[in-house]
Amino acid sequence: MIWDRWRPRLIYLVMSAFLAWHALALVIAPVPTSSELVDAPRSILQPYITLLRMDNPWSFFAPTIGGAELRYIVEDATGARAEFGSAEKASWFHPEHLWLKDWNYSIIDNPELYADHAGELLCRKHASMHPVSITFVERVHGGFKPEDWLNGKRPLDPEFTREKTVQTVQCPAP
Amino acid sequence: MMFTRLIGDMFAALGRAWSEIWFQDSPTTPLEITRIGVGAAMLLHYTLAIPHLFEMYGKDGWSPLDAALSLREPWMQSIFFYFDAPWQLAAFHSLFLLCCAALMVGWRTSWVKWILLVGHISYVYRNLTLVYGVDWIVSSLLFIMCVAPVGRAMSLDRVRAVRKAKLGNLEAVLPPYHSPWTGACIRLMQLQMVVIFFYSAISKLHADIWLNGDAVWIMFTSDDYYHSTMVALLASHYWIGNLATYGTILLEIAFPFLIWQRSTRPYLLAAAIILHLLFAFLMGLFYFSFVMIMGHLSFVRPEWWAALGAAWKRAIGEMEMIYDGRCGFCVRSMAWFLAFDGLRQIKVRNFRTDPSPVVSDAQMEKALYLVLPDGRALPGFEAYRYVVPRVPGLMWQVPLFYLPVLSRLIGHPIYNWIASHRSLLSSMLNRPATGVVGQQKQ
Repeated sequence: MIWDRWRPRLIYLVMSAFLAWHALALVIAPVPTSSELVDAPRSILQPYITLLRMDNPWSFFAPTIGGAELRYIVEDATGARAEFGSAEKASWFHPEHLWLKDWNYSIIDNPELYADHAGELLCRKHASMHPVSITFVERVHGGFKPEDWLNGKRPLDPEFTREKTVQTVQCPAP
Repeated sequence: MMFTRLIGDMFAALGRAWSEIWFQDSPTTPLEITRIGVGAAMLLHYTLAIPHLFEMYGKDGWSPLDAALSLREPWMQSIFFYFDAPWQLAAFHSLFLLCCAALMVGWRTSWVKWILLVGHISYVYRNLTLVYGVDWIVSSLLFIMCVAPVGRAMSLDRVRAVRKAKLGNLEAVLPPYHSPWTGACIRLMQLQMVVIFFYSAISKLHADIWLNGDAVWIMFTSDDYYHSTMVALLASHYWIGNLATYGTILLEIAFPFLIWQRSTRPYLLAAAIILHLLFAFLMGLFYFSFVMIMGHLSFVRPEWWAALGAAWKRAIGEMEMIYDGRCGFCVRSMAWFLAFDGLRQIKVRNFRTDPSPVVSDAQMEKALYLVLPDGRALPGFEAYRYVVPRVPGLMWQVPLFYLPVLSRLIGHPIYNWIASHRSLLSSMLNRPATGVVGQQKQ
């Protein structure tokens, strides 16, 4: 009898508690850890936020937008070099295009984690060229102005590009 | 005494406001639209991943297991941390794709959604190199769907429930599901979308490229989103790029505040959808944009969907299907067929108990008939063919009924054979426990 009277109230209370908890997690998750005001509830919510993959700043296209491209140079025993871009053949309409771009950015940002293994994969991929090494190169585009376009130049032209070697990976002997 | 009463009144008012905000009695329609959209998007996305499955998530793929584990934090869980054999990955991916399809059509939704949530988060944590915004959004929306009572409308689960009710009586109506908890889950999804827009705006306000108005130009001239037509347009009309940059920030700031008001919601919603369509077609972010639009559709009020359904029903007009109530097979088929008619566009008439003024009994002995609003009567296969594109729940059958030449060539003989053997089929199918027998006796 008492249970019947209190059951709906208890359910309402549990539902409300969950809503408040999840709403707080939604709001807190993107806030950068900086103040005690945020850090205190965040430390309690963190397991929940991580488990459900809510840990995201939602900073789409900010503070920067793309602008880098990963190329790799395959070098064989004679010193001949051939350059490739892993994402250049992927269709714009296929998510493969984004997957490859993301993988490339990971190699650029964390070469110590991913470059060696990526190099191994590419050595195997280009086995017919008998590669001795794979060199990853980051190509950064920028500084292209509207007047450049009107003067017949293009954003990906070499003059708007800087190159930086990310890492060289030796291929295992065949 | 007065003070305690004041405190009591204050808490009561707060409680009422809380209930008003969260617990509005709502049908599941907005959540179902999101379910169908997210399920379809995930099905396509993960199907396209099949050729790269072992590269993306395999032990020796783009992200070796050691690298993934080195980034692992407490509470980061992925089933692929424990099951990494190729056959296990292939088997799970097959199951996962089946669950995506099941979520889309709403089959066994109550547990399929949990498999999808666990699977999706597992894929994300297994290879963090591939993750971009949409993966986080999908996780968030999936979790809300997991706690929400989705699958109660516009789903095979609903079709099964309606069919069960109609087996006892074809005219039975199963009332649409609605609950205050549904309203709370819709609100949670809306809050999620608002949070995304709000923080996206805040991050842009800290970025020079956005504050200077150059972001759109930089975007289209970058290697990632290079678009020669857009660059050509912006090079000669740079102000369009400025306008688009500031317009995006303005929309992202305005959205969290103005989307809640009845009068401004349609405009904000339309603007957000247009923004994501532009992302899709100008930047190639199809999956991201589609999922975002599906999330935004949680802001479409249930009464707008109801008005749309009513307008569709008015435009098509009521149809009447006349069937043979003595034929158990016909009743079962009708129960299945009508279960897909969520808008209740089709009325039914058993010619054995209620003869039709339009179609004679002799005609009815040969085939089922559909009477159209203009008084025309279509028999058998043609009746089904007419109904299928006009009833939203049956539209998935359009390819079967409208394949040029072939549909009619095969459909007519099949229907005629079934109609002439319906007594035999009925005797094979009838089980005394079902309501079909009861209807026949009636």
